[in-house]
Amino acid sequence: MKTPILEMKHIRKTFASTVALGDVDLSVYPGEIRGLIGENGSGKSTISSIAAGMQKADSGEMLYHGEAWDPDSMIEALSKGIGMIVQESGTIQGVSVAENLFLGETKQFPGKLGTIDRKAMNAKADEALQAIGVKNVSGATPMGALDFQTRKLVEIAKVVMKDPEILVVDETTTALSQEGRSILYALMKKLRDEGKAVLFISHDLDEIMEVCDTLTVLRDGAIIRHFTKDGFDADAIRTSMIGRELEGDYYRSDYTPSHLEEIAVRAEHISLGEALQDVSITVHKGEIVGIGGLSHCGMHPLGKILFGAVRPDSGQVVTGGGVKITGEAVAMKENFGYVSKDRDVESLSLSASIRDNIAIAGMEQYAVNNFLMLSSREKVYVDRQIADLSIKCADRDQQVSQLSGGNKQKVVFGKWIGRGSEVLILDCPTRGVDIGVKRAMYQLMTELKNEGKSIVMISEEMPELMGMSDRLIIMKDGKITHEFARSASLSDAEIIQYMI
Amino acid sequence: MDNEAILRKYKRRQRLIDILPVVALAALFAILVITVQSKGYRLDMYLKIIFNEGVVLAVVATGAVFIYTLGSFDISLGASTLFSATLGVMTYNATESLALMILVIFGVAVGCSLLSSVLASMFHIPVFVTTVAMMSVLSAIAAQIITTNGGALGGISIPSALVKPLDNMGFKIAVLAVFWLLCFFVFDFTKIGRKQKFLGGNPVCAQLTGIQVNKYAIIAFVMAGIGVGLGAFLTLIYTPSVTATTAGSIGMNILVAIVFGGMPISGGPRSRIYSALVGGFSYILLNNILKLLIDSNVGYGVSQIVSAVFFLAVVYVTSLNYRSQTLPR
Repeated sequence: MKTPILEMKHIRKTFASTVALGDVDLSVYPGEIRGLIGENGSGKSTISSIAAGMQKADSGEMLYHGEAWDPDSMIEALSKGIGMIVQESGTIQGVSVAENLFLGETKQFPGKLGTIDRKAMNAKADEALQAIGVKNVSGATPMGALDFQTRKLVEIAKVVMKDPEILVVDETTTALSQEGRSILYALMKKLRDEGKAVLFISHDLDEIMEVCDTLTVLRDGAIIRHFTKDGFDADAIRTSMIGRELEGDYYRSDYTPSHLEEIAVRAEHISLGEALQDVSITVHKGEIVGIGGLSHCGMHPLGKILFGAVRPDSGQVVTGGGVKITGEAVAMKENFGYVSKDRDVESLSLSASIRDNIAIAGMEQYAVNNFLMLSSREKVYVDRQIADLSIKCADRDQQVSQLSGGNKQKVVFGKWIGRGSEVLILDCPTRGVDIGVKRAMYQLMTELKNEGKSIVMISEEMPELMGMSDRLIIMKDGKITHEFARSASLSDAEIIQYMI
Repeated sequence: MDNEAILRKYKRRQRLIDILPVVALAALFAILVITVQSKGYRLDMYLKIIFNEGVVLAVVATGAVFIYTLGSFDISLGASTLFSATLGVMTYNATESLALMILVIFGVAVGCSLLSSVLASMFHIPVFVTTVAMMSVLSAIAAQIITTNGGALGGISIPSALVKPLDNMGFKIAVLAVFWLLCFFVFDFTKIGRKQKFLGGNPVCAQLTGIQVNKYAIIAFVMAGIGVGLGAFLTLIYTPSVTATTAGSIGMNILVAIVFGGMPISGGPRSRIYSALVGGFSYILLNNILKLLIDSNVGYGVSQIVSAVFFLAVVYVTSLNYRSQTLPR
């Protein structure tokens, strides 16, 4: 039996009114990629973030190489051998890539008169990026100029260049394209082969079964079961995760494309810099239109343009009734809703309560004379969304920042569905949510479609695009390369050739 | 401890945090009463001074809550108060019309406030930057008018008999109550207030929820402008003359007062309109207690230091509370 690199014993942690971990034991051994899986709010991020110095446990003991482990910060933990790539953005905008990589360590590049030798720092940053396979980003590039995926790759480089003994990867792959994922998987395997360890958190069961050697399932802040590679069984893992058998369909059960005749929205000849070139799409009422492609294909800006949040250089977005969408307020008036890929920044106010976040978009639903806000009416409105979407929370006044990723996403859905949005633009709607929540969201989308609502689903996940869309539009380099109708025979291979 | 017990403990803590500013106000009031009586001074005189200073600060701060809720900051409020009072006095002296004077005071106060927000919107710069510029410009113009028309020390004035009938507690309480209730209504019972709080919490998300940032920033500045106008008018009622130093420290005092009142310095959804009222009077009480307790030669400096330490402590405690409630992302 190998000696564990890290032992965590009786770890307990609460956040305000939420018990995130209750008496958890976890060991990480050399030469393993250990998966951590569980529903949103099960405690995966909390246990790993305690190990990586992001926060302290309320009680419990940690041993690293047999010695007491109690890092005061992530920087200290990384310098001693445990590094973490966090779920959301872990980089600082407004400074360069190199400054992010060498944050707090710029003294190693002394320039003249106490300045920093930026040339040397940028060159070293280029080296670090190339070492993990990122070739198209320079150390001098401002962080703000990079997209979400590339920022994540910079973050990976920042941790990996410290050569950690244990690398914690917290739901990072959902932000990465296939190319980015390949880079990360290669790094993880390299660390394992060197006798180091990886703690890998993901909601993608297929991915976790493919990549990991061992697997630990958490539920409601407790460890439920450990699996080794030879005992991996998808059904057993799912049941351990959610504590019950999953019932009903995951994706849509029908394979016939369908929609009403009436047009809900049309994007006509949209161009935006190099991101989009003469893109036109039409969405009908009662239709789910999937848009897929690689991360930089232009689908994300297209979502924002459809909602009026970004003005295209040319072209226009028009509703079926002929109203031009010239801004978010017009889109809202026309009953559009937009779920952003960057949930914590663009879709939620984290310092606000669940009530504030849900109520803000639907005020005209419950305000008296569309003006007077009465708490009693608002509570009924918000409680209905909490119940309909099964949002796991202490109460409606709980701060959204206290919720897990999946429950946060449910709040975002509640915000738009509660107000009766007729057109929903969903950019990566299931990013970072667990299998149970995903299923609930797919069922909800099917219900909305059946009610005659229109959904534009932008996603980097092929299975969900194929499983949910009536029509699947594939984009590459800012252009539409192909359009598929819903079909049982549609395959990944068929689609991917139009993406790459 | 089970989840229910943790939830109960958490809610108790939240309630305690919510009532803490009111408890602090009551405690400061008790300390003042004890201090004044132990020194053998007249309590009624002190209460009158505190009320007159506090009412102006509370009124201007109540309007300013709308700006602070947006996560913004207006340092020109004192200069605006001075400028609108100056033009009000000049108008009365030129026309002998009280109505016109009041109209000018409110027009100028709202106009100055609007100008700050419109300039910020036009040039896409943070609004506090324009308020810094406005503070310098308005103070300089007011000082020039005062010096030219009445002398730097004596200042300019209106006949005291004109506003004497209004210089009583009943009128001032009525003004404060009506304005505060109006702000309370707008802030907590209309879409305007709700949208402003959300905007302060996350402007990017607010915009993607259809909230027009400029529109709500302008409304916030109009509300603050009304507060400034009322503050300028109440200042003239208390002392019917204006000097270059009138209302000079209001801009910074408001920031401290609002935080004393329990409002987060970053604004957002946890902003409370009562913070201005509670914090305004708490701040004035604290200053007067310190003046009584500390030797007058060093009193000003020491009381400023004590206020600063108190301010930092309040900000630290409120931010600590927020950080401990955030799950890892």
